[in-house]
Amino acid sequence: MSEIKLVQITKKYGKVDVLKGFTETFTDGEFITLLGPSGCGKTTMLRLIAGFERPTSGEIWLDEKPVSTDTVFLPPEERGLGMVFQSYAVWPHMNVFKNVAYPLKLRKLPKEEIREKVEHVLEIVNMQDLAERMPDELSGGQQQRVALARALVAEPGVLLLDEPLSNLDAKLRESMRREIKDLQKRLGISILYVTHDQSEALSMSDRVVVMNEGVIQQAGTPMEIFHQPANDFVDQFVGQVIRDQMADIESFSGVRG
Amino acid sequence: MDKRSGFHFDVKWVFILLILAFLLVFLVFPLLYLLFRAFFADGSFSLDAVKRIYSYSLNWDCLRNTLITASLSMVFGVLIAFPLAWLVTRTNLYGRGFFRTLFLLTYMVPPYVGAMAWMRLLNPKVGTVNVVLKNLFGLSEAPFNIYTVGGMVWVLTTFYYPFAFILLCRALERMDPSLEEAARISGASPVKTLFTVTLPMMLPSIGSSAIMVFVAAASCYGIPSIIGAPGKLYTITTRISEYVATGTSQGLADATVLSVFLMVLSLVLLLLSNLLMGKKNRITISGKSMRPNIVDLRKWRIPLTILTSIFAIVIIVIPFLSVIATSFTQNMGKSVFAEGNLTVRFWQNVFTRSTILKSALNSLITATLAATLGMIICIIMAYLLKRTNMRGRKIPDFLISFGSGTPSVVIALALIMTMSGRFGLNLYNTMAILVIAYMIKYMMMGMQSTISGFSQIGPVLEEAAAVSGAGWLRRMKDVVIPMLLPSIVAGWFIIFIPSFYELTMSNLLYSEKTMTLGVELFRYQMNSSQQTAAALACCILLLVLILNLVMRKLTKGKVSI
Repeated sequence: MSEIKLVQITKKYGKVDVLKGFTETFTDGEFITLLGPSGCGKTTMLRLIAGFERPTSGEIWLDEKPVSTDTVFLPPEERGLGMVFQSYAVWPHMNVFKNVAYPLKLRKLPKEEIREKVEHVLEIVNMQDLAERMPDELSGGQQQRVALARALVAEPGVLLLDEPLSNLDAKLRESMRREIKDLQKRLGISILYVTHDQSEALSMSDRVVVMNEGVIQQAGTPMEIFHQPANDFVDQFVGQVIRDQMADIESFSGVRG
Repeated sequence: MDKRSGFHFDVKWVFILLILAFLLVFLVFPLLYLLFRAFFADGSFSLDAVKRIYSYSLNWDCLRNTLITASLSMVFGVLIAFPLAWLVTRTNLYGRGFFRTLFLLTYMVPPYVGAMAWMRLLNPKVGTVNVVLKNLFGLSEAPFNIYTVGGMVWVLTTFYYPFAFILLCRALERMDPSLEEAARISGASPVKTLFTVTLPMMLPSIGSSAIMVFVAAASCYGIPSIIGAPGKLYTITTRISEYVATGTSQGLADATVLSVFLMVLSLVLLLLSNLLMGKKNRITISGKSMRPNIVDLRKWRIPLTILTSIFAIVIIVIPFLSVIATSFTQNMGKSVFAEGNLTVRFWQNVFTRSTILKSALNSLITATLAATLGMIICIIMAYLLKRTNMRGRKIPDFLISFGSGTPSVVIALALIMTMSGRFGLNLYNTMAILVIAYMIKYMMMGMQSTISGFSQIGPVLEEAAAVSGAGWLRRMKDVVIPMLLPSIVAGWFIIFIPSFYELTMSNLLYSEKTMTLGVELFRYQMNSSQQTAAALACCILLLVLILNLVMRKLTKGKVSI
């Protein structure tokens, strides 16, 4: 059971309105993507849900419980979420196993259980053989998997991903996309995914929320976003880019053969 | 960029060779000579000088005092610096920006001012704090005595913890905040995050800053010379100075042996610190998402702000007030507020005595020359390091760091031994020897400022000028230097300020004609008039403050100490 309800969220930094009345409900088991150009407020929204920052006004509910309102504010450690950061944020002073075991240690699980769970989740992300490695001995893609395993190990209902693939090379990005999507289906968790990459958003999501300048432009399935853009911005930012990419592919294959 | 082959004449080589020549003549050669003299005094290898030096119990005392005071200052300094750095960089402490600036400012205050202040406050007979406490609690004996190892540790700590504070602030600010956020989202409270993630990741920086404090405290002369003199408490630096002051060849030989010990100790430790930091740079600096991750102190916010304020008052406000008060006190045995005890005559001294004015002028000239010549070297070196892959560019860079890591007394002694005509060059008793000493000691700080300036300017801008047809000198003049100006200005001040009030090296290198402000103040403090010394110290503090404001203004708030 994992539902995120966002009601009239606003966020100001000084005089700048980063979010202007964000209202949306994400239901259980969905793969949702917040898509928009940099500075549109998508990462801020994610950070508000995680609890790193407090909204200027508005309410955030997780599973019918208020976690952020005018009177309530739950810090991140009490929200029970999993998160993967853009920079992976794998702790350099702990090996892979310790990184992944950290959330469980904080929950004071028995040692044996921690070992089982960590080994299980490392297997899921295909890192079981590298458990003793230190982070500086890992490639970017491997660090990414450690971060993913650490976010999943405590079995959160919701997984937050902040541009997780932007630091990987194109080929790895492609395969990680598929892996994350498979993982979500297999584990049946909700994913809230932030990206500025149109094809990433359309290929992975159940639902895409297109944002610009702190306002939701359109929310819908990838097909709806692509075929029935709500306004010019969505058409330009999503439709045009994808059409250009397809045109490129067509012209390229046309030349080849 | 610079991979032209063949014997193409490159103007950059001229600069690098000139810089290298300067460093070889005035740094490498003197220090090597010092080593040579310590072990080859009579032309063949002998440990006689070493044996003689370590046969005096007074020298053992000074070694012990140095190691004890430096170690304790290191421990206390880091224990103070880390929590402070964490509070001002990572939490919502009230006035954290103000506190940050305040603690950094003390970094620019000459250490001997601290010694003067605490001597007035904790002197066992008439120290203000002692008198107040005695009256308050009816004590028969003074609770504190500054003329002890403990007193020296106290003053060293309060004046050298900023070294660690600066380093730790920077390290905390450069740490990827996601690393802490990842701990929070994993379920760790802010305190748990601090102890399981932040602190362990900061260990290399903590180790390195501890070493910085140790080396600074062990090489300090101003504090132990003022605090140690009445209690006959010697450290290596004060002992070296005394040996040099005897002027005999045996005195110089003994000073040499002691300074070789201090030099090796410092350089080995600094090398260790570089290793620690090198490791750290590889793993925690990410350069992405540099949003500061602010910990909400909640109910601790007010108590911790009060605690920090009390600390600032005790460490900074009270000592400075004490120096100011001293400068207006007629009779040092009484309070400044006692009947008829207030006077401005010491301030009149400062602005009318020709010897003082002459010393101030000397300091102005030598510090200006050191800063200007030093920055020319810094700019060229920073350019070579950041913009070229010229072979050998790391050698002068290493030597500049090496010079700044060498204790001041050692630099001064090495220059005395080699530049007094023995090798055809006699700079002793000239301003040149002072300028050279300041450059060797402080150039690195200017270079760091310039290098960080370079890091903020992409090489593309310069490449654009090159494509437009500008040669190297032209590009430096038209593109690089104008864009670097804030960092250059900052670097200039960072060399100028400590050179202006320098004491340790000047005290060994001055002559009656080239007396500097630091030495002048020191002589008043030790020999005749503590009040005149205090008034001079006030002037220096005021100047440091003004220069800092000017620097902020010129660099539009980007750079200050």
